[in-house]
Amino acid sequence: MKLITPLNITVVVLLAAGVVAWALFSPTTEVDYSTQVKPILNKNCIACHGGVKKQAGFSVLFRDEALAVTESGKRAIIPGDPEGSEMIRRINLKDPEERMPYKHAPLSKEDISILTRWVKQGAKWGEHWAYVPVKKIAVPDVENDWVKNDIDKFIYAKLDQQHLIPAAQADKATLLRRVSLDLIGMLPSPKLAQQFLTGKDSNQSYNVLVDSLLASPHFGERWTAMWLDLARYADTKGYESDGGRNIWKYRDWVINAFNTDKPYNVFITEQIAGDLLPNPDDASFIATAYHRNTMTNDEGGTDNEEFRTAAVLDRVNNTWESFMGTTFACVQCHSHPYDPFKHDDYYKFLAYFNNTRDEDVDTEYPVLKQFDAAQKQQLETLTAWIQKTDGPEQAKNAALFLRTGQPAIYSTSADQMNNAVIGNNNIALYFRDKASARFKQVDLKGVNQLIYRYASSVKGGMMRMTKDSVNGAVIASWKVKDDKNYQNVAIDFPLQTGVHDVYLSYTNPQLKEKDRFVVFFDWFRFGTQLFDKAIPEAGEQEKTFYTLLESRPPSTPVMVENPAGMRRKTFVFERGAWTSKGKEVEPGIPEIMKGAMPAGAPANRLGLAMWLTDKKNPLVSRTIVNRLWEQLFGTGIVETLEDMGSQGMTPTHPELLDHLSWKLMNEHQWSLKRLIKEMVMSAAYRQDSKLTEEGKEKDPFNKFYARASRVRLSAEQLRDQHLCVSGSLNPALYGPSVMPWQPDGIWLSPYNSSKWQSSTDSAQYRRAVYTYWKRTAPYPSMIAFDGAQRVMCMARRIRTNTPLQALVTLNDSAYVDMARHFAKRMEKEAGKDFRKQIASGYQLMLYRPMPVEKLAVFTNLYQTALKEFNKDAAKTNEMTGMNTGQATPAFASLVVVANALLNLDEVVMRN
Amino acid sequence: MTQNELHLQRLVKEAEAAQLRMQTRRHFLKESAMGLGALAMGSLLGSCGSNSAKTTSVAFDPAHPLLPKSPPFIGKAKSVIYLHMAGAPSQLELFDYKPELMKMDGQDCPQSLLQGKKFAFIRGVPKMLGPQAAFAQHGQSGAWVSENLPHFSTMVDEVSFLKAVSTDQFNHAPAQLLIHTGSARLGRPSMGSWITYGLGTDNQNLPGFVVLTSGGSFPDAGKSVWGSGFLPSVYQGVQCRSEGDPVLFIKDPKGMSRDLRKASIDAINEANQQEYKAYNDPEILSRISQYEMAYRMQIAAPEVMNINNEPAYIHEMYGTQPGKACFANNVLLARKLIEKGVRYVQLFDWGWDAHGDNPGNALNIGILNKYRSVDKPITALLLDLKQRGLLEETLVVWGGEFGRTPMMENRDGAQNPYKGRDHHTEAFTIWMAGAGIKKGFSYGETDEIGYYPVSGKVDAFDIQATILQQLGFNHEDFTYPFQGRPFRLTDVGGKVIHDILA
Repeated sequence: MKLITPLNITVVVLLAAGVVAWALFSPTTEVDYSTQVKPILNKNCIACHGGVKKQAGFSVLFRDEALAVTESGKRAIIPGDPEGSEMIRRINLKDPEERMPYKHAPLSKEDISILTRWVKQGAKWGEHWAYVPVKKIAVPDVENDWVKNDIDKFIYAKLDQQHLIPAAQADKATLLRRVSLDLIGMLPSPKLAQQFLTGKDSNQSYNVLVDSLLASPHFGERWTAMWLDLARYADTKGYESDGGRNIWKYRDWVINAFNTDKPYNVFITEQIAGDLLPNPDDASFIATAYHRNTMTNDEGGTDNEEFRTAAVLDRVNNTWESFMGTTFACVQCHSHPYDPFKHDDYYKFLAYFNNTRDEDVDTEYPVLKQFDAAQKQQLETLTAWIQKTDGPEQAKNAALFLRTGQPAIYSTSADQMNNAVIGNNNIALYFRDKASARFKQVDLKGVNQLIYRYASSVKGGMMRMTKDSVNGAVIASWKVKDDKNYQNVAIDFPLQTGVHDVYLSYTNPQLKEKDRFVVFFDWFRFGTQLFDKAIPEAGEQEKTFYTLLESRPPSTPVMVENPAGMRRKTFVFERGAWTSKGKEVEPGIPEIMKGAMPAGAPANRLGLAMWLTDKKNPLVSRTIVNRLWEQLFGTGIVETLEDMGSQGMTPTHPELLDHLSWKLMNEHQWSLKRLIKEMVMSAAYRQDSKLTEEGKEKDPFNKFYARASRVRLSAEQLRDQHLCVSGSLNPALYGPSVMPWQPDGIWLSPYNSSKWQSSTDSAQYRRAVYTYWKRTAPYPSMIAFDGAQRVMCMARRIRTNTPLQALVTLNDSAYVDMARHFAKRMEKEAGKDFRKQIASGYQLMLYRPMPVEKLAVFTNLYQTALKEFNKDAAKTNEMTGMNTGQATPAFASLVVVANALLNLDEVVMRN
Repeated sequence: MTQNELHLQRLVKEAEAAQLRMQTRRHFLKESAMGLGALAMGSLLGSCGSNSAKTTSVAFDPAHPLLPKSPPFIGKAKSVIYLHMAGAPSQLELFDYKPELMKMDGQDCPQSLLQGKKFAFIRGVPKMLGPQAAFAQHGQSGAWVSENLPHFSTMVDEVSFLKAVSTDQFNHAPAQLLIHTGSARLGRPSMGSWITYGLGTDNQNLPGFVVLTSGGSFPDAGKSVWGSGFLPSVYQGVQCRSEGDPVLFIKDPKGMSRDLRKASIDAINEANQQEYKAYNDPEILSRISQYEMAYRMQIAAPEVMNINNEPAYIHEMYGTQPGKACFANNVLLARKLIEKGVRYVQLFDWGWDAHGDNPGNALNIGILNKYRSVDKPITALLLDLKQRGLLEETLVVWGGEFGRTPMMENRDGAQNPYKGRDHHTEAFTIWMAGAGIKKGFSYGETDEIGYYPVSGKVDAFDIQATILQQLGFNHEDFTYPFQGRPFRLTDVGGKVIHDILA
């Protein structure tokens, strides 16, 4: 390899630029806006004349803005008339005071020529490819022995242009390990492996292997690991104290969705709007926990509305990034500087998410109570009865209330407090003697009952509820039952009308300590009396109602929409600050993508989901195709998974991306398994990954796929593979998150005494996806391998290679433990001969015989170790984790070898 | 993208690949800085690869992400020690002397100071609270320092005080994030990550960005204050600990001798060499060098983290307590790490949240212990760095995430049982020293009760801009592309505080 000096490079760059410029300069051809004009504008103009700044009243972001009269009274761009266009005049000037770009180097001759011709040709605006709906693409006409399916035709056509020759198919062992790690994130069962390796017809047995892997329950676990980065799933709430959150049912929902191959459009719809589907079951509600994975701030003194707003902003940004591979976050503060999104668009989109019942409260309301079968039966009987006595609307309301506790007013939303506080600013409303508090603008239409949840630490006291002021018309007053525990109480009163401020006050003359807070509130629900005492079975049904209300089955934070009377208005935030509210907006989507909104779609999250999953939505199918491609081929067709906008990278195979996107929607019926199968069945995927000198020269980053990519295993794949190899994997599916071994002192959150308790039973050998994830202190060995913190949407993990990773697989007790299990397995597989043991270990990891030279290396290591352990019984015991008598120097040496084998490059990588 | 640009981009990519290959070979099993040629090429790539001519492009090499790189211009500082008192110390008991406030002690707080304000815990009308310490002037510069820092007061002629720092975050976690990541929300890279991303680090056997914590808890914002955000995770702070393993997983497994570990890494690397012959992938060479480096780090990290062999006068000077996790030990470690070529050392000392709702956090009881625990070490650090000639190139920053109110806290409207102050965002004190910072200087003033700044108001972005400036970066040009736009540490704010630069 010749050393390249800076001088050489400069010469090469200049030469190349000259050649390209010459080739492009052709005055007659139609100028393309997206590929030729837009890059010039983005690079040279838009910083001053774009979404953020509009110097001199001129912006090149939207066509109507660009053609408008500027502050000087002139038009910067007059279609068809470059001579009359101020922009063209200014870019041609010599005087640096007047010339554009101002205070920068003048545009190149080629750029000026492009812009001039473009204006002359009518200054046509084009759309960035990613915002144009997906169309059916003609498959290149390629026929040869290498091609296995349509993907290969696209790939081969490009390879041919580059004069590259695709690699041969990888050997069986490599292919087996690759496709298993890719599809199920771990190694296949020994039986499946054997079946494939001994299969005669390699095409046929590969097909069978792929189908078996796609059908494996472990398939869902592997793809969920990917999805959780997008969903920013964690087992804690984030921020200061970062307390626990019980939301693992969502993770299980995702696993199950992948396993049952839930069509991707349904998968999205349920996560965005499962609660708004007709008759949502528990699973539909749990799916909406996707957007309850936002953080909740329990720090003392925080403003709940500020952090509720932060969560809603995150839902907006996340929806764009995760489902549509587009960065929308910058539109929060100003119109997008490069892409066609206006400042208001952000808030119209936000309006879809701004009406859920969550309010950054400590309790994480709203939560779905998951009743057991008997309770479900009770609920069904009860709602049927209510339907009979009070009609379907009441029945539906009662069911929603019992399942989700909604709609309720949380005590933390009180204001105008006297002798009352909201504990820690976010836990609950506390009263002392002579207390009062207001609940603003409560919808009392048709209301004749309050059910509320409270606890009182003292006996006696009177509660009073009034309208419009503390001393206003009394709605009801009642004696407080004392009970140290929280309880639900119903207060009946005459039928109310209108919307009123409701005041709650409390007096207790017997109370000696006037400063002590004695009554604690949780929530208030204003509703209708349901159980008419005149009906004989009403008493029985009422009892069921309160039993279910009081019951505490497992619960999960979910989305529940505000009812009409509790709707929040949405405003534009001036310069993105939530405290400076501008004009009010209604739900809506950016102009450029309105075509995908189905007629008659409701203006809520369900409508939004319909728009996302409409075939005319240009981004959703492309984003998931690109993402799956990256998972299987190492790099996305658009490398920037997080941004397909005009600032993202240009796709390497745009036609292939569109072809697969079209197929996903129209032929595969949104089945991800079918799409994944198509990808892994391609010859492109099955290639050998060895890098030839030619490949190194012509395509060092494998943009054209003349070989398979070598990719370092993800944090999850690495752990799971090592568990498989060592034979210690606990393959149980689903359930609460687990705590495998982790060093002491990782968790030290202030005001939070919870401790990591490393499991000692088989739970410590569960797959990585079940590892308890604490946002402010994630599992360290997985973070070392580029695991995501899961604070915000992480569309792409950037793979690094650091010494800290080596330290994990060499020294982490969890990995040392796996090495011991691995050594035991080697002994079991290969009998007494240590060489055979080592060779069998290698074969267990990689499915092929150990090369002689490698066996020599590890034989040597084994013998070095043996010499040491023969002299040192204490070390032997430590290395094996066994007691004297059981521990042998031979086994200790094998552990050392096992530990080393698990660190081999070919084991840490996917070839 | 025009074809022209596309072509150039491809050329650049190829050149990068060539660079990668070159480095891989040259740095194979060798600890050293990048050569001059590579450096020049890095800056050349920056100018033709980026969209804006202004942006400082940092060449990111995933195979050797921490190799030292030159900043865009020569900075005064080579490294940074940032001492963060988590929980926010009271400026009114340390540096901001307010005799007028004493006169108002016990009076109701004037309505004008409460209107339109939100406090974390103060409700209703609190009482004013006079300074809970005596002050005197010190040194040539005549800086006011309270009796709480008798040692540090001898060093005032080395530092610049910023007396009118303000923030818009009145909760710990967001305010700490703002200071260290430029955003009050989780998810942005921390300052140490930015700096190691931009400069790499001199000693490849130690992490480039080290974090040391004391006080029994992590800072309120958790590990996110040293997280790498959207930068590659290799740039996150590595927590070194004075109890347990000094760096996670640095100790060989029990029963494995150093010789045996060496033999096993040699075996792994030899097998990987064979693998390289078959696959020709430069990533394999990189992995070999990472394992070599890991082995050396296993020696270097425990060595530098061991303070037992320091001379007695050093222990005396810092007030260290070997074997314990305490601030003094961490300060001494910070000096040792900087001396060994670590780029950025971040200390967090938790327990400064002086609310006065219990004796432990009362200004006149528990917090006195905090003063005592930092006074000697911070003094020793400045002296020690100076004596070793390191202060000239090491930037030392001391401060909290906000200040404390001139009012006594009345949590939920009832006077707190002990002397304490609530969170105060308007004005607090941070000091900086070394690496081109003016000596014996004070910038910014607050009003007579220390409530509002009256001059020289600065914020977190200004401090970040100044730190970057001293390291050789223009904070506006030092960006990283993410989610389709260039991000920077100072977001859309920040002005270098030129007044404190020598």
